[in-house]
Amino acid sequence: MSRSHATRFLVILVILTAAALLLPFAANRGLVFLAGVIAINVVLGLAFNLLFSTAGLLSFGQATFSASGAYAAALLLLRAPEVPFLAVLVIAAATGAAIAFAIGFVALRRTEGVYFAVLTLAFAELVHVIIAKTSFFGRNDGLTGIQRPRIGPLDLAQGNAYYVFVILVTALLIAVLWWVTHSRLGRSFRAVRLDPMRAAFLGIDVRRRQLEAFAISGACAATAGALMGPLTSIVSPDLAHWGESTKPILFTLLGGAGHFWGPLVGAIVFSAVEYGTRSLAGASDLITGGLLLAVVLAIPGGLLGLATLGVRRLQARPAAPSEAALPLAPAASKGETL
Amino acid sequence: MSKLNRRAFLASGAGAALALSANPRIVVGQTNEPIRLGVVTPLSGPQEFIGSFVKNGAEVAVDLINKAGGVRGRPLALEFRDEKANPAAATTVARELLGMGINLQLGTIASTVALAYGPLMQAENGINLTCGAGSEKINHENYSPHVFRIGDGTYRMRAQARMMAEKFPDVTSWTGIIPDHEYGRTVWAIYVDGLLEFYPKITGKQPQIVDPIIVPYGSGDYRNFITQAARTEARGIVNATYGGDAATFFQQARPFGLFNNRILMDVANEFIVANALKTQVPKHWTGTHWYYGASASPIGESFYKAYVAKTGNKMPMGWAGEAQAAVAAYAAAIAKTGSTETKAIIEALKGLSYDTVTGARTIRAEDNQAIKDLEMIQIEPDASAADVGFKVSDYVKIPGAGVIEPATPGQAMVLRKSS
Repeated sequence: MSRSHATRFLVILVILTAAALLLPFAANRGLVFLAGVIAINVVLGLAFNLLFSTAGLLSFGQATFSASGAYAAALLLLRAPEVPFLAVLVIAAATGAAIAFAIGFVALRRTEGVYFAVLTLAFAELVHVIIAKTSFFGRNDGLTGIQRPRIGPLDLAQGNAYYVFVILVTALLIAVLWWVTHSRLGRSFRAVRLDPMRAAFLGIDVRRRQLEAFAISGACAATAGALMGPLTSIVSPDLAHWGESTKPILFTLLGGAGHFWGPLVGAIVFSAVEYGTRSLAGASDLITGGLLLAVVLAIPGGLLGLATLGVRRLQARPAAPSEAALPLAPAASKGETL
Repeated sequence: MSKLNRRAFLASGAGAALALSANPRIVVGQTNEPIRLGVVTPLSGPQEFIGSFVKNGAEVAVDLINKAGGVRGRPLALEFRDEKANPAAATTVARELLGMGINLQLGTIASTVALAYGPLMQAENGINLTCGAGSEKINHENYSPHVFRIGDGTYRMRAQARMMAEKFPDVTSWTGIIPDHEYGRTVWAIYVDGLLEFYPKITGKQPQIVDPIIVPYGSGDYRNFITQAARTEARGIVNATYGGDAATFFQQARPFGLFNNRILMDVANEFIVANALKTQVPKHWTGTHWYYGASASPIGESFYKAYVAKTGNKMPMGWAGEAQAAVAAYAAAIAKTGSTETKAIIEALKGLSYDTVTGARTIRAEDNQAIKDLEMIQIEPDASAADVGFKVSDYVKIPGAGVIEPATPGQAMVLRKSS
């Protein structure tokens, strides 16, 4: 991790956080709420991409982790309101990490590649069914009436206080994920992704690294999920549905899997398109699906890949026009940027 | 009289401007601008066909009110949003509407969405009128003063049990085809509660409750469950499967003759199964939010005519009537209180008696549950009905006051159970 990379990351994070914090001054309550949901989705996308692009693990069960965090937080807020909310978030993160570890322990033991992906999907569906059929989790109706909590003297139910809290916590989670991606641990994840056998010869415990990546991704997704309950005031089995697991994948593919900020761009663009077409009932899903198809087929590097390509072409043109075709290699193959 | 100086003039002017800018249109009648109502209902996805009845019903209801001069001289206008039957999507669009200043909303049909609206509307100072959400929790353990069920509650199942006791006193053994889902279990539990109350009261006989057949959702093959049901001694069957599942179940049950010598009471499919199976549909009873052919009220007749003129659909389903009842409830409450402000509308809605497509209904003040007549229709195949293949052969109306459960806001319903 070079210092210039870290500085550039921090500048972008501060600008994005400031923009999100200023949003309530310019937008109505609906848009502010949507921005809170997007912030949570950004973390879910980045947590998925830690597994996918950094550790080389394709998980179809990310909703399990976010839903486990959401349910852990909702249960504590409803049944043990005396537990401080920051402790609730830590417990939610631990729950997500533990479930990720348990699933990873079984799934990574005997499978890899597409079999691993299918197994994560199977576990996710199992968790979904358990939630939907267990009275403790409110069965199909879910858990309702989740109030926005207090943190010491700070009442997060007042005005946009909870939205501000969501933005700050998601910014912190983004920073954690960036640090993991660019740390020595992240480099060992990449080594395992690129060539597990060579990594093992170099002394890296491949299975342990994969489990660690799974647990970190699960913990971050669960913490983001824990923020969801007080935001929407309900947690329902829909959160654990396989459709929710596809969203972080879509954000990542749309924004660009080879870029750290890809899932963020994907989540924002995806939500903007959904919002922009919300009054076109029926056509909304078609437009969103068509856009995703177009991006995945036409620009495999995602929107950030396309942007990077455009910038490189512009930079290359005046100096050496004949070499303009060189940067055409997919951004994803160059490893993550920033 | 003291002379008005510059400071006093400026101060009073600023005060007046502040007062006027605070909420200039709260009092109805001071402007001709439309009163905007938000309609949040499924407009895409598998529940779109129900949402389309809510949408069309609300539009027709608003057209009729506006043609009659609006509410206190102001027209009503609708702002639609797609909830996709998903609590997260529904709360997002509801908040967006609240952000636009639309605090009066209607149209929810999914229970999870209606349950999510309680704390949301309370925190954001809005109101939602559900148009068909079935969970008993809405007016019991999850009661919120900001959510009203202006249509049938779970007590329609009790009305259906009562009707069976009145019409078929000899059919005293009952079982159910119940989907493995919260909704299915609740419906069965309340139907059993009704059987245990009304059969002894009306027929003097104790009903025999046979364990229901629990069926999975979305199964393409129900034959094992059908043979299981056929082996029971129950002479009456209540069906809680829904939509495509119900159509598949009914179709597969034909060769087994499951419904040949049994009374079939369907919970809430209205014309859904009959439209799918046409002349293959078994003779059965079904509950409906509103049956257009009953001509229960002058409003119902004019609403039906306008609905057919607008959509061309001569057999609208009951959700359209629920949307009319929701729009009419807001119109009546605004007319009564002269305000569109949330607190005033909640007060006006509580205890409100007003006319709807199904006749008069009253919103119970204690738990925001409407008390209305419950409607049941009998459907049977009819080859002579060329375009639809079935006909409505009977209609029964049960007054809601005699079957509604006691109001226990904040507490779970207490139900009778078979021993």
